[in-house]
Order: sequence, then structure tokens, then C-alpha cells
Amino acid sequence: MPVVNFAAGGIATPADAALMMQLGVDGVFVGSGIFKSGDPSGRARAVVKAVTHYNDPAAIADASKGLGEAMVGISARSIDSQELLATRGW
Amino acid sequence: MKRTPVVGVLALQGDFAEHAALLRSLDAAPREVRTAAQLAGADALIIPGGESTTMATLMDIFDLRGPITDFARSGRPLWGTCAGMILLADRLVEPAPEPLRLMDILVHRNAFGRQVDSFETDIDFAGIDGGPLHAVFIRAPWVAEVGPQVEVLAALDNGAVVAVRQANLLATAFHPELTPDPRAHAYFLEMARVAAA
Repeated sequence: MPVVNFAAGGIATPADAALMMQLGVDGVFVGSGIFKSGDPSGRARAVVKAVTHYNDPAAIADASKGLGEAMVGISARSIDSQELLATRGW
Repeated sequence: MKRTPVVGVLALQGDFAEHAALLRSLDAAPREVRTAAQLAGADALIIPGGESTTMATLMDIFDLRGPITDFARSGRPLWGTCAGMILLADRLVEPAPEPLRLMDILVHRNAFGRQVDSFETDIDFAGIDGGPLHAVFIRAPWVAEVGPQVEVLAALDNGAVVAVRQANLLATAFHPELTPDPRAHAYFLEMARVAAA
């Protein structure tokens, strides 16, 4: 039975999305990586371009230009202990 | 001397991988097409099933509408399955997407109903021997009108036209790439061989 495989979580740049495609997924879901960026509309379009042309480094580089700020991850160490869902391992 | 035709599969969205796999099983030479340059070297092109509005949007973003139109007008074979049939149409019952306007047909999107109305059935396909073809219809379109140059290759018992051909252009409302039966792809490959000879 064919199973469609999507990647999601932490994808913030067109290159991230292309890397997932190179690893063999059928597509990517990108949420906060777009909404928490400086230019959500432009970044969404760039991710689409990078996914379509995931094997074309020049196209990925071109799609990555002029997108403004990317989503920045939040380090678990910087979160107040009362805000953490789990404290083990930190 | 006969050579193996290079069959491009438009790889913007949809089930292009399944088309390529079936072509490989026939010892054909599939090529994923995402750019005009990749299209230029192909002898034939398949526009796969998927979501027609998404595919039309991506064709515009990547400037493929003109090159695909020129490709069809050059006489090279073009085959649209499901969403691909919608894109090959001259006109649609629905206001979107903007089709390529290559085949003289009126196509009705989601003609059988919503996702829950998707179904499989066996159909007789003119030009394909060896018994009925098992056909998978997923939120499928049908052809509501055909022009005088268009040949109807398959219709359902209720009269719905689901496979048509107009010279080098072939369109099927169903997904032959989702069954292991390679006869529909062999039919198209023969069109490609004749055109490439």
C-alpha cells in the first residue's frame, strides 16, 4: 500500500524544505516557519519554489534571497521552568 | 532505427512518481519535467493527476504554460490524467483554473461528486485490447462536450465520457498510474513512438 510521507516541524528556510525533499519525503508542511518570519507571503512562495526544484541548488539559492528574517527557534534552556511542559533532561 | 522515446512527466504536483514508475516498467525513459529546458528534450509529456488549480498556479510561477502549449502544437503527444485532463481542456464548467485550452472539450470538475463519491470500475477503452481496463476515479472530472475533431475512447454506463483523443492529445478522467495494469501507458507510449519516429 502506498504511504505518502510528509515532513513537518522546524522547517524555517527554503533550504530546510529542499533538504527534506532530498531525504525522500513527498512534501512538507510549514506553519510557524512561515508565520513567524519577517515576510510570510514571500517565504511561503520561496518554500514552494524550493520544494518543486529541490534538486536544483541554483534555484534553491535564488529562492532564498531577500526573504527577511527567518523564524528563530527558542532554546529550552531560556524558558522559565514554570513554562516548561517537562523538566527532565534540562 | 527505433529509439526509446523520452516521456516527460510534469512534476510540479500530483502523482508524477507513479506515472514514472509505470513507464519504467514498460522500459520507457521517463523524465521529470519542472522547467522549460527539461520539457524541450522530451518526445511526449504526461500531465498527472493531482489538484488542477495548484498545478495551474505552479505552471504560471515557473513559466511553463507557453512551453507546454508550444510542445502540444509541435505535434508531440500530450496525455492528461484527471487534473491533467482539466488542464488540457479548452473550457471548463467551473470558473477556475485557467486551462491550457488545447483540446476541444468542455470539462466538468469534480463531476461525480466529492471525495466520498470516488470509485473504481471497469471500462472498455477503444484501442486497448485484452478486456476492460480497471479505472480509478478520484474526485474525477468528466467530459461534458466534445468538438468534432475529438474521438471518444471510453464512456461509463451512465454516458459520462471519461477518455478522449484529439490527434496527438489524450485525456483520461481516471488514474491509470494507480493500477498495475500498464496498457494505458503502453497505448500512450505507442503514440510517442509514432511521433518520435
